[in-house]
Amino acid sequence: MTQAIRKTAPGALEPVPFHIPKPYSTRLANGLKVVILEDRRLPLVSYRLGFLAGDVNDSSDRIGVTSAMASMVTEGTVTYSSKALAEKIERLGASISASSSEDFTIIAASSLSIYSSDILELVAELIFRPTFPENELDLYKRNALENLKFQRSQPNFLANEQTARILYGEHPYSRISPSPADIEKLTRQALTDRHAELIAPNNAILIAVGDIERDEFLAELEDKFGAWAPAEQVVTPPAEPPTRAARTLTIVDRPGSAQANIVLANIAMERNNPDYFPAIVMNQVLGAGASSRVFMNLREDKGYTYGAYTRLDARRLAGDFEATAEVRTAVTGDSLHEFFYELDRIRNERVSDDELADAQNFLTGVFPIRAETQEGLTNLIVNQELYGLPDDYLQTYRENVSAVTADDVLRVANKYIWPERLAIVVVGDAGEVLPQIRKYSDQIEVFDTEGNPLELASFEADRGIPPENVSGNWELNVDFQGQAVQITMAIEQNAADISGTIETILGSGSIREGRVQGSRVHATASTEIQGQAVDFVITGAVDGDEMTGTLSTDVIPDSLAFAGKRKL
Amino acid sequence: MSEAFKLPPLDIEEYSLGNGLRVVLNRDDAVPVVAVAVYYNVGSRNEREGRTGFAHLFEHMMFQGSENVKKAEHFQFIMKAGGTMNGTTSSERTNYFETLPANQLPLALWLESDRMRSLAVTQENLDNQREAVKEEKRLRYDNQPYGPIFDLINEMIYRNFANSHSTIGSMEHLDDATVEDVQEFFRIYYAPNNAVLVISGSFETAAAKDLVETYFGDIPSQPAPPELDVSEPKEVAQTYREWEDKLAPFPAFLIGWKIPQRRTPDFYALYLAGKLLYDGDSSRLYQKLVKGEESVIQLFGFTDERRGPSSIFVGAIPKPEKDLSRIRDIIMTEIRDVAANGPTADEMQKLHNQLINDAVRMRQSSMSRAQHIAEYALYDGDPSLINAELDDLLSVTPEQIRNAVQNYLNTDNRALLDIVPAGKG
Repeated sequence: MTQAIRKTAPGALEPVPFHIPKPYSTRLANGLKVVILEDRRLPLVSYRLGFLAGDVNDSSDRIGVTSAMASMVTEGTVTYSSKALAEKIERLGASISASSSEDFTIIAASSLSIYSSDILELVAELIFRPTFPENELDLYKRNALENLKFQRSQPNFLANEQTARILYGEHPYSRISPSPADIEKLTRQALTDRHAELIAPNNAILIAVGDIERDEFLAELEDKFGAWAPAEQVVTPPAEPPTRAARTLTIVDRPGSAQANIVLANIAMERNNPDYFPAIVMNQVLGAGASSRVFMNLREDKGYTYGAYTRLDARRLAGDFEATAEVRTAVTGDSLHEFFYELDRIRNERVSDDELADAQNFLTGVFPIRAETQEGLTNLIVNQELYGLPDDYLQTYRENVSAVTADDVLRVANKYIWPERLAIVVVGDAGEVLPQIRKYSDQIEVFDTEGNPLELASFEADRGIPPENVSGNWELNVDFQGQAVQITMAIEQNAADISGTIETILGSGSIREGRVQGSRVHATASTEIQGQAVDFVITGAVDGDEMTGTLSTDVIPDSLAFAGKRKL
Repeated sequence: MSEAFKLPPLDIEEYSLGNGLRVVLNRDDAVPVVAVAVYYNVGSRNEREGRTGFAHLFEHMMFQGSENVKKAEHFQFIMKAGGTMNGTTSSERTNYFETLPANQLPLALWLESDRMRSLAVTQENLDNQREAVKEEKRLRYDNQPYGPIFDLINEMIYRNFANSHSTIGSMEHLDDATVEDVQEFFRIYYAPNNAVLVISGSFETAAAKDLVETYFGDIPSQPAPPELDVSEPKEVAQTYREWEDKLAPFPAFLIGWKIPQRRTPDFYALYLAGKLLYDGDSSRLYQKLVKGEESVIQLFGFTDERRGPSSIFVGAIPKPEKDLSRIRDIIMTEIRDVAANGPTADEMQKLHNQLINDAVRMRQSSMSRAQHIAEYALYDGDPSLINAELDDLLSVTPEQIRNAVQNYLNTDNRALLDIVPAGKG
């Protein structure tokens, strides 16, 4: 083989067509919609019974009831105790589960096709004869309370909680979890009532994929579910999410947190919006994956984080656009700077043909990989059916992705990303992050991890106090793995802004983006060390002619403490 | 019916290139997707004292570029072609794999062959990947509650250094490594004759063979790697260790046993015993501890499958204020029950149905097929063993399970690790 063949990436072979057959749809007399796709590749069946209501439909005095009902429906029936049901299912090597999301409630069952009738019978058991035993409800409530406590220790949960509250206001998407009081209030009667209303054929779609014969299956459905009676559905139209007029900043204070979880978000689109395809292509260019712009910038280029992404969360009633990253505390401000740079760039410049093609190739390429397993194929059909997408949605998905143009991307970026009206939510050490990011908004709120508001003033004692004079030449000792390493900084000051130069034994550089608030100094120094560009973030506090603080850089994992004096 | 259940065999074709690279083709045109897996016969078991963490460091190095693929481009090429990819390291092997649209098979073979032939083992790459590994260790082990517990218990279970040390390894050892050490490691272990290449999914057989020959055929082979001894003395005494975890919110414990190697009747029997003890909502320990006693937040267990002595673990995170020794007594009581009475007929039926179900599901995705096939090819020299796996498992008798539990689990030959929260809270 010649060297030449190896020099460049080989081209693709002829594309292999991929056809997802269209499922067959029908409806039973009681209103149950039935969607069947015969898939004979392997002796397996997958069933999904999807209901068009979820957590958002909980009445205000019974928050959490749909989720509890779904979790509990497998915990005992007239015929089987919780344990007997688990044994019955697992003895077939099958799985049956039920869960709710905000928009939907789904009972999922899958097994070898020889047990197809057995699992349908068990699904019927969950529909017609659940008992919601008191002792199982007690266990559920105690575990749910423990889980809520655990969630409050997770910065992601805290960030999502605030983001949803701010974006959605009175809209039910504002609530990402019931409160402990909501959980305590749940009763067996509430679960039984919810089951009676929600688990109804006129509110449901049964999706069956696998090694089944259509007519036999329909006869069996008629037999098992034909007598299932419809129930009236009470649908309360949701309140509109609030209109946003300005950018806001919300900080959840986690004192001592080594990292800051950043979310930038605004309301975007519901799932069946006609702009969905241009929007997912735009989001793929911008931040959906690990070759997207924000990842390449914040992680690969700057090293601020392990991962930085954007997300288009398009749900049934509404949706939002989010940019997220978990970054080292010292680079919170710099990370926001880069996020805004990327959000502006995708709104102001047309994406290049190459970037557009890469994003489209990714989305069309992974599509068949997602349909490889029966569960994957079933999930694609479930999405199409529950969101009410067009009948040929899966068949035309790849064409629709490929049809998106650079102009479409520019248009939807402007329509659905609003840098001036974003909700910025940061979970981290408020005292550390606030000075870095306060310039991004005039509307600032601070909360503790329990969601209680805190006094902003207590985190910015220095605000309004004139900046101290920090100009001059500083000789500082940095503690580098137990060794004192000397550096010098020459700082020029103009009101609260500082600039200057930095010298280290390894190289020198310039100080930019520096600010002084009271006695606190925050700046970034760009240096070159052994031919490599290295950015340091300097956070310091001045006391007369002495300064203490930390230096951090992505080259060195932990921040380095420094202390020193102004040369008089 | 389960004994009579026969899966159609997978289509397997195996051959070797002149340089010793073993190639396995598993064609299945159901979906226009192709998976490529390259398994190198090197894991932490091959590391010497003073040189731990090399196998895993290499997994990082393999994404740092080669003669014709620049640093970090591997990933970009795969993403842009609409694929997914990764690499992992275990005690047994280091693997690299990608799934792509079927017409992108040449890209996967080009990328894998370029790094097998010409990995850029430079000082700069070594330095920055050492730092990346340190960051990964901080993130996944040092900064996670319960992060290092499996490494700790392996040190208690195994006596042979090849088996007992962790895959992430020692950061001091990585710091001591020179570029020459790393180049030598690459030369010995990343040779074509020390690897298996599996292609599974939709492709034309003749075209695939041509591509493999084109890209891999002239990579030079190397002398065989040094022989390895992973034998272990038979343990007789319990070992106990208490470990303070600064991040753990609750106490926890982990029990581990040393058991025979993979693909032996005893290993299979213990794998099945594990499933009935801790796998699923109807398992014995779930019903006793999570339901019945309501004393446990989380219950877990698994077998660590190796070519030499292997291990099985059971662990739990109890609810606050619960008595850990009582929970451990319940675990040992169930083990004694299986050792005395064996599994019930219902349990055997459950195991059989689950095994068939697992075997069918494993065949759905080209990547999971490729990975299973690669293990049999690399460890056993026979990729077609994938077609015998289900029968081997289904032929295990209740008596074999009972005897294996009696001989290996109902003994003092076990390690107990107590995790004690030592945080500020």
